[in-house]
Amino acid sequence: MTTLTAPPAPTQAGASSGHRRRRRRTGANIWLTVLLVLASVLTVVPFVAVFVLALSPDGAQTIPDQLPDEVTLDNLSAVLSASSFLRWTLNSFVYSIVSVVVILLTAAMAGYAFARKRFPGSNALMWSFLATLMVPIQATLIPMFVLVSRLDGVNTFWGLIVPTLANSQAVFLMRQFIKGLPDDLFDAAKIDGAGEWTVFWRLVLPLTKPVLATLGIFVFLWHWNDFLWPLVIAQTDEMRTLTVGLSTLNAESVARARIMASAAISVIPCLVIFGVLQRYLVNSIATSGLKG
Amino acid sequence: MTVHRPAAPRPSWRQRARDPGWGLLFVLPMLVLFVIFRYVPSLGAVGMSFTDYRLSGEFTFIGAENYERLFSDDLFVDSLRVTLLYALIYVPLTLVVSLATATMLHHVVRGRGLFRGLLFLPYVTSFVMAGIIWTWIYQSDGLINGLLERVGLGPAPFLTGNQAMVLGSLAVVSVWKSFGYSMLILLAGLKNIPGDVMEAATLDGAGAWGKFRRITLPLLKPVVFFVVVIETIAAFQVFDTIYVMTGGGPARASYGLVYMLYDQGFRFFDFGYAATIGVVLFFVVFLISLVQRYVLDRENT
Repeated sequence: MTTLTAPPAPTQAGASSGHRRRRRRTGANIWLTVLLVLASVLTVVPFVAVFVLALSPDGAQTIPDQLPDEVTLDNLSAVLSASSFLRWTLNSFVYSIVSVVVILLTAAMAGYAFARKRFPGSNALMWSFLATLMVPIQATLIPMFVLVSRLDGVNTFWGLIVPTLANSQAVFLMRQFIKGLPDDLFDAAKIDGAGEWTVFWRLVLPLTKPVLATLGIFVFLWHWNDFLWPLVIAQTDEMRTLTVGLSTLNAESVARARIMASAAISVIPCLVIFGVLQRYLVNSIATSGLKG
Repeated sequence: MTVHRPAAPRPSWRQRARDPGWGLLFVLPMLVLFVIFRYVPSLGAVGMSFTDYRLSGEFTFIGAENYERLFSDDLFVDSLRVTLLYALIYVPLTLVVSLATATMLHHVVRGRGLFRGLLFLPYVTSFVMAGIIWTWIYQSDGLINGLLERVGLGPAPFLTGNQAMVLGSLAVVSVWKSFGYSMLILLAGLKNIPGDVMEAATLDGAGAWGKFRRITLPLLKPVVFFVVVIETIAAFQVFDTIYVMTGGGPARASYGLVYMLYDQGFRFFDFGYAATIGVVLFFVVFLISLVQRYVLDRENT
């Protein structure tokens, strides 16, 4: 790490030393770029490997500098015509999308109440929501499972989805954002005689669109990639989500090319989200610290 | 909807929110979810840890027996050691990788957005997916061993070797999958360091390494500390990669705390005992957060 340079800023040093420094800085920048290219390649290689393996005939010798002789879509089409894989994909979409819709709605409502309403115990309630951040999901896994199984929720969609909807990060983020909206807007709506629901639907939801979009991406990724809860609650093949299904393929020693083809397809929604909304994701982590 | 600016003085907060019913009504759906699926299970975990709760739903209170059994259970002591060793490998590794990449991104002139995107890419995948790819990468006929073979080195037993090797290999997978998050947090921290401080150091003839060590690191300390804490907590919760890649093996070399919880709960259906492990996990994570509070408070005074 001897190649670090100062951020590009106008220097007030003398002309000659400035010249020398600029030349040194150019050299350092080349090194920096080379290192970053190297780091990026190392990071991306496993992705490339999945797709290469998914497109190779099974058992083909696939060592990095040697691309397979023939490209085949057999693995992908075999995976896509397997009924359980399609079912897992559907389950993952249901799990993720229903969660996004319900969490966005309930978190916006709760965030609005915490930011703009006074009611007895509102502060204590907010803190008690935040306090659950201290309790790792794994610590309450057993009682959650017992609770849901007593309510006959094992191997059902509600049993899979509903317990994951209590999300304090979402509530807190919405509260912070709504708190920052100008008071005047709410006053004006009141003076116009808008009812509580009208204010929420016509004012709060439209104004929070940017933060709802960010939160929606995160909630989708959290659920799409979730593993432990679906693993214990979805025990039949037809209730499995993609992550659970993939892990069973891996354990059943299905042909490698088939596993890789399944993995490749399962990651596509995440890659699409990433490709389209990268800027959103990156900025929101820097500003709000949302964490999966 | 027409929105007018009120000419008269604004109605006070209290007037506007005089009806407490609406506030509660808006919180209600989330509150119900929290009560049923967060508060009740949290208390339930503690309650269950004092019972011999079984799959059938029958149980009797057995006092602190689960805790006595746990602390004299070699399996538990080993799993705690496995998790600790894993954290000792994972946390420094992920810190170094995310700090190095964040620093490079901060200083690079061209292509920052592209590099940032590529480095962040694995963060959007699942640990299951990461586990499946890296299982192949580590296999005896996989990517790394294929390369090693080219230069005449024998296959390395990444997932079947000794404990340090297996845990190190697992840690690398988690670092690959999640360093992007810490990288972005550190990058935001670097951006907040005032430029004139660096400028002054440059004029004083400080070298790049000197500036990094004497200015960047001290100013970045709170952010680095935050990253260390969240990554330590993440390390204690490691499960998915172990489940997919090693199943706790070989010979329990990667039998971590959460894996033991899952194993006791869903293979032996010893729910009371598994809930006890969950309570211990909570206290471990709680302790890490307390240390964080303590250190941050001391820094601020």
